[in-house]
Amino acid sequence: MSNNTAAELRRQVERFLPKVLKPSRYIGSEWNVIKKDWDKTDVQMAFAFPDVYEVGMSHLGTRILYHLVNSYPEFLCERVFAPWIDMEKEMREKEIPLYALESFQPLKKFDVVGFTLQYEMSFTNILNMLDLAGIPMRANERGLDDPWIIAGGPCAYNPEPLVGFIDFFLIGESEEQLPEVLRLMAEQKKNPVSRPEFLRKVAQVQGVYVPEFYHVTYKADGRIEKIEAEEGVPALVEKAIVSDLDQAFFPTNPVVPYLEIVHDRMMLEVMRGCSRGCRFCQAGMIYRPVRERSPETLLRQTEELVRATGYDQIALTSLSSGDYTCIQPVIHNILEKHGAEGVGVSLPSLRVDSFDVDLAETVQKARKSGLTFAPEAGSQRLRDVINKGVEEKNLLEAAEAAFKKGWSTIKLYFMVGLPTETQEDIDGIVDLAKKVANLGTKLGRRNITVTISTSVFVPKSHTPFQWEPQEAGSSVELKQRYLREKLRDRRLKYNYHDVTTSYLEAVFAKGDRKLAPLLEWAVKHGCRFDGWSEQFRYEVWMEGFKELGIDPRFYANRAIDYDDILPWEHIGSGVTKQFLIEEHHRALQEAKTIDCRYEDCTGCGVCPSRGVQIELKG
Amino acid sequence: MSTMRLRIAYTKIEDARYIAHLDLTRVFERAIRRAGIHMSYSEGFNPRPKISFGFALAVGTEGEREYVDVELREDVDLGEVLARIQEQLPPGIRLLQGRALDQGAKSLMAVLNAASYRIRVPMALPIHAERLQEAINGWLGREHVTYSRYSKKGPTDKDIRPWIKQLEAKIQGDEVIFDLEVEMGNSGSVRPEEVLASLRELENLPIELDELQVIRTGVHVSYEGGKKSPLDEREA
Repeated sequence: MSNNTAAELRRQVERFLPKVLKPSRYIGSEWNVIKKDWDKTDVQMAFAFPDVYEVGMSHLGTRILYHLVNSYPEFLCERVFAPWIDMEKEMREKEIPLYALESFQPLKKFDVVGFTLQYEMSFTNILNMLDLAGIPMRANERGLDDPWIIAGGPCAYNPEPLVGFIDFFLIGESEEQLPEVLRLMAEQKKNPVSRPEFLRKVAQVQGVYVPEFYHVTYKADGRIEKIEAEEGVPALVEKAIVSDLDQAFFPTNPVVPYLEIVHDRMMLEVMRGCSRGCRFCQAGMIYRPVRERSPETLLRQTEELVRATGYDQIALTSLSSGDYTCIQPVIHNILEKHGAEGVGVSLPSLRVDSFDVDLAETVQKARKSGLTFAPEAGSQRLRDVINKGVEEKNLLEAAEAAFKKGWSTIKLYFMVGLPTETQEDIDGIVDLAKKVANLGTKLGRRNITVTISTSVFVPKSHTPFQWEPQEAGSSVELKQRYLREKLRDRRLKYNYHDVTTSYLEAVFAKGDRKLAPLLEWAVKHGCRFDGWSEQFRYEVWMEGFKELGIDPRFYANRAIDYDDILPWEHIGSGVTKQFLIEEHHRALQEAKTIDCRYEDCTGCGVCPSRGVQIELKG
Repeated sequence: MSTMRLRIAYTKIEDARYIAHLDLTRVFERAIRRAGIHMSYSEGFNPRPKISFGFALAVGTEGEREYVDVELREDVDLGEVLARIQEQLPPGIRLLQGRALDQGAKSLMAVLNAASYRIRVPMALPIHAERLQEAINGWLGREHVTYSRYSKKGPTDKDIRPWIKQLEAKIQGDEVIFDLEVEMGNSGSVRPEEVLASLRELENLPIELDELQVIRTGVHVSYEGGKKSPLDEREA
């Protein structure tokens, strides 16, 4: 299939490639790359990650789905990432269309391009990538020769701002759902039916959301009047869930990049889901229930990963790996078996209430890199509001143990602008940071660094805080300035997130279909890589809101009524609205809700409605 | 435990030429680990495998004969080791030759001091062989050749002539092929692109610098009147 085009494209790219930053981003001949024969496959898919290579290649879901699709002889999957600014400039100047890394085939040649939605601030990159590929952004402007444009990932739980661009969304876990969709595409290529007819078929697959079958009407004040599903498609699109995680597909021969990527190591998914129930956390709600992989499976996968990649580090990933019931034996077995080859283990996050300093010592070869804890809020009251079951005592004990073992750098993560937050809660951050630093000084550690990072609370869909407004940027900035003043101490370092980025994130996290034209406008006015502070152009966005008559505050700063129809009302995570309302009430009453992993069922609704259950291996 | 120091000559061609020098250590490290061969590590909090290279090759430039030193924590048959590592390396990196080093042998950075390049560049206007030779002779005849390098701090002038050991050129179709040999050292060197840019400017040689292709044909241990390979028994 038109290898001439691909070869020609490659020649043109190679002519200027040494001039751009990090050329290995764009060449795609890494170790374990899969190059298939186009003519011998029925469906060709491009998996698109709307950020740079180093970010995309660090994403476990991307690795899983790339290898999953390629594990079917009849399907082909190649990768494409957002070219960095310098590369985009060269490509536009030389009229080189966006191509997939494996074959250098232009994206336009593929049957389907699947975007993963990890972050609202990458939405403009999706449209920009389509534009670079010469594919019309708008679904209704695309023809029969254009690929299907689909999308999945956590941001697909509120896909509404992207309606009009994406043909259909995949909600939930894709291991079983995506191959089913590709089978329908193979069928469609053989015996084509009309677009609506095909979309109706694909809408029958678990978790597939075809937005054009859902009609939204609005009230005069901009709120949603109703969302109506056409006949023959589910009124509530419920997420797909992998039936048996332990036996689910997991690639043990992942692509090993040449350039250093963000998470440059093996990744072992020890479990999926987290039942801690932090009320701000979308991942904690949408990936329910908790399902663990068995130690036997994990050790077999480790063995295969080490052989196939040659990496010297393996990360045990999940939303809260410290909670994995077999964490200790798994770590010790891995080190016993592969330690001699120079292989170490890392844990991406440590919880202070399950913190085990010996474990931390085992997993951190380089002690100078520091330990990170996330109390999230400065006072016990506010930690109860957000259901972060961490007590000050836990944190101080963890810090003490760490200092005693020789660590001198501790990082603390907090959020600012949480619901019900008062001055006392902000003072609590200062208090906690100083207590930790003083503890280190008292224990005789020199060169102590306590890094305090605050992000801005962004209310997310499908969480108990989805009805909450985001605090106004001006007021958050005052709090940041206050903290900057109060945290002046040579042992303390304060970092904080930009409020303007978080503001826009909040707009899109809770946005509706009316934002789609704004996205298009922003891309046409040069917005892209909005998650990269040096590329983010807040003034351009604000001009766009004005130009299109959209009030960003309506989305970000408005308290939503329980009776209001949410823009994502027709997307189901399995957790019931009733449960989210109760959790919201309990938050305002400062009442904790216990983890169903240890205690009784909290009644979130996912298990009974979907015939699944939590699965622990310890 | 016995250790073994290996010096290996390899190519870095095709797609492998886009691998940055800083990433090359990881490429070898992972290949060796995949091959199931145990490496020696540095001491300290963050042990690194003992892998070292000679002078960096610019990203995008092919190297026909580069060198790497690797220290292994086992004593194994040289041929077998090379074959096992080769299986785990990306296609453009081909192992050409290897030798076990004496314990006291100097590092590549300590012995290497010259590099040779072949540069192909299209003509912007037709060039005759005599005209080409004249330009080369004229340029080599200069005692000093000032070249301005641009960095973030602004331009800095430097004399690039002392680095040049040899420069020859011939015409092939509508391209000029240069063979260049330069000295390299810890105090720096000269890039082939700089030599050609200077030739174009000072000798008015009409060559298309935007389309030049550079290959590093080798790196050497140079001494009075000759050069040898760092794999050479006596020098290493």
